[in-house]
Amino acid sequence: MSDSAISQRVGNDKMLRSRWVGYLLAALCIIALPLIFNDTYWRTNLTICAINVLLALGLDFILGYTGQLNLGHSAFYGLGAYVSTLLIVKLGIPFWAAFVAGVAFAGLAGMFLSLFAVRLRGHYLAIASLGFAVIIYQILLNWISLTQGPLGIYGISPPPGIVVGGTVIADFRNLTAFFYLVSGFTLLVYLLLDQLVRSPVGETLTAIREDEVSAASLGINGAVWKVFAFGLGAAVAGAAGCFYASFVGTLVPDAFYVSEAFTILAMVIVGGMGTLIGPVFGAILLTLLPEILRGIGDLRLVVYGAALTFVVLFMPGGLVQAARMIHEKLRPGGRRP
Amino acid sequence: MTTTIVLQQAINGVVFGSLYVLVALGLTLIYGVLVQINFAHADFVTLGAFAAYFFMHLLGAGYFLSIGVAFLVGAALGWLINASIFTPLRLKGNELLPLIATIGVSVMMQNLMLTWFGPIPYAFETEYSSQVIRFAGIFVSWQNIIIIAVSSVTIALLYAFMKFTFLGKALRAVSQDRETAGLMGINPNYLIMLTFVIASALAGMAGAMLAPVLVLTPFAGTSVIVKAFAIVIIGGFGNVEGTILAGLIVGLIESYTTQFLDPGLIDIVVFALLLVMLVIKPTGLIAERREENV
Repeated sequence: MSDSAISQRVGNDKMLRSRWVGYLLAALCIIALPLIFNDTYWRTNLTICAINVLLALGLDFILGYTGQLNLGHSAFYGLGAYVSTLLIVKLGIPFWAAFVAGVAFAGLAGMFLSLFAVRLRGHYLAIASLGFAVIIYQILLNWISLTQGPLGIYGISPPPGIVVGGTVIADFRNLTAFFYLVSGFTLLVYLLLDQLVRSPVGETLTAIREDEVSAASLGINGAVWKVFAFGLGAAVAGAAGCFYASFVGTLVPDAFYVSEAFTILAMVIVGGMGTLIGPVFGAILLTLLPEILRGIGDLRLVVYGAALTFVVLFMPGGLVQAARMIHEKLRPGGRRP
Repeated sequence: MTTTIVLQQAINGVVFGSLYVLVALGLTLIYGVLVQINFAHADFVTLGAFAAYFFMHLLGAGYFLSIGVAFLVGAALGWLINASIFTPLRLKGNELLPLIATIGVSVMMQNLMLTWFGPIPYAFETEYSSQVIRFAGIFVSWQNIIIIAVSSVTIALLYAFMKFTFLGKALRAVSQDRETAGLMGINPNYLIMLTFVIASALAGMAGAMLAPVLVLTPFAGTSVIVKAFAIVIIGGFGNVEGTILAGLIVGLIESYTTQFLDPGLIDIVVFALLLVMLVIKPTGLIAERREENV
């Protein structure tokens, strides 16, 4: 083995170790957060943050890693929420079975839409997915015998608690336990996506995003991978929907209006699309910022819109690009060649 | 009896259809020269409508003058969005970034209008809204006749402009091949700016004509733009004749769905048609051969 190969291997080990340190730190943060913020208001916000991070991760995987502009992410979010809730409420199916069904349904819907649009260039997919979100919203609104339309579904119970040997380990009526559940799941999804994008699959996806024709000349079937990525991202949104329904306890179609898809898009873009860590911080920032700027009221969405526009214009890499620039500036000796 | 209903709904369909054509033509013109989508086009419709409303109700101007004002407001917005978003982003070369940036502009504009004008619908009454003529059992308001007349004339003028004037020919040349058109001494930047101004002016004036027959709220344009997007794809992106045909079809689908099915199904029917078109014939109703660079 040559020297350079050995040093590269050592470098990889080092990177691997620092990545696991990062996961450990993230887990510690998740454990510490509800202990620091111990009132109901902030604990609710924390859980909403975790749900939004999940949504942003799913969209980023579709947009950032395969370059498919999905403007209908709200549809998969809504499908996950409604399918799981209706299975629980109407058929009495246990929560976790309904969760799996909601995730699978959202994922299949994503693959279905992607199959429609996979032959088409970016703009066609953008409009087809927007249309899909409009259709799903109208169905939720108008299929009153099933979804109760604008009246909504009330009194959705949280997931059943975990009981071992007669003692309750986790009771999800408790805000802290619910936050641990959602953020633990989100961390798991992050870990899986992180492994996936670093594997040969990730390289395949990047190749398709950069130049599908060249990728095809290497024997990569772009369509199959795009459908796979779309389905996976949509399934993650479905999971977020299941958690949302059982967390809020109420479902109305307006929660899944098309503007929700734009909000998630803003989180991905502001954080930095094509990285996994960026959308995490984008989602946290854009969820908490309006809460911190309490006084702005209706201008909340103006902030989202402005963030989206100015980030694209002046810092297309989002927070990740900003962090890198600051890092470069602070490093002793300045910018390296 | 049923024939009357069918005819009555046909007229309603043409009224809305011709307005959708005005909005969709703007999108398709921009796509033709730039292969880009301006998502804020919807809000140009809304802002055009509000401009006409305030011009009429605060300054007491006539309706036709108000349509002209909406036209100018739209034109100004078109110039602005080209200069601030599309021109700077063209250098970056990513086909999706401008679309994402204009989604941001759209979210901003909608919510600014929401804080300024409030969510309660405005009653945009013109002097022609209540004048109705009756013909063979069909009722047509003068407002509807004005809408059909003004949009037909506008569409015809645009069509003549594209076909017969030097600028129109240059515009088509740029949409076929920007580099070669540049070599022929056509300044593409000027023509792109001109396209944005014309396209957005059409959106503004469509707003001034839509508001009296639709509700005027800060989100009025959004309900129109989703249909306009569907029309643009059904008609074939960048194709003027296809867009006109698809616009009228969608208008008719809408009025017959309202009459015979359920108004809640309109968007579902229109987008189901869109998805079917994407599968059967993604190039649109009237196919135009387009070279693709690999």
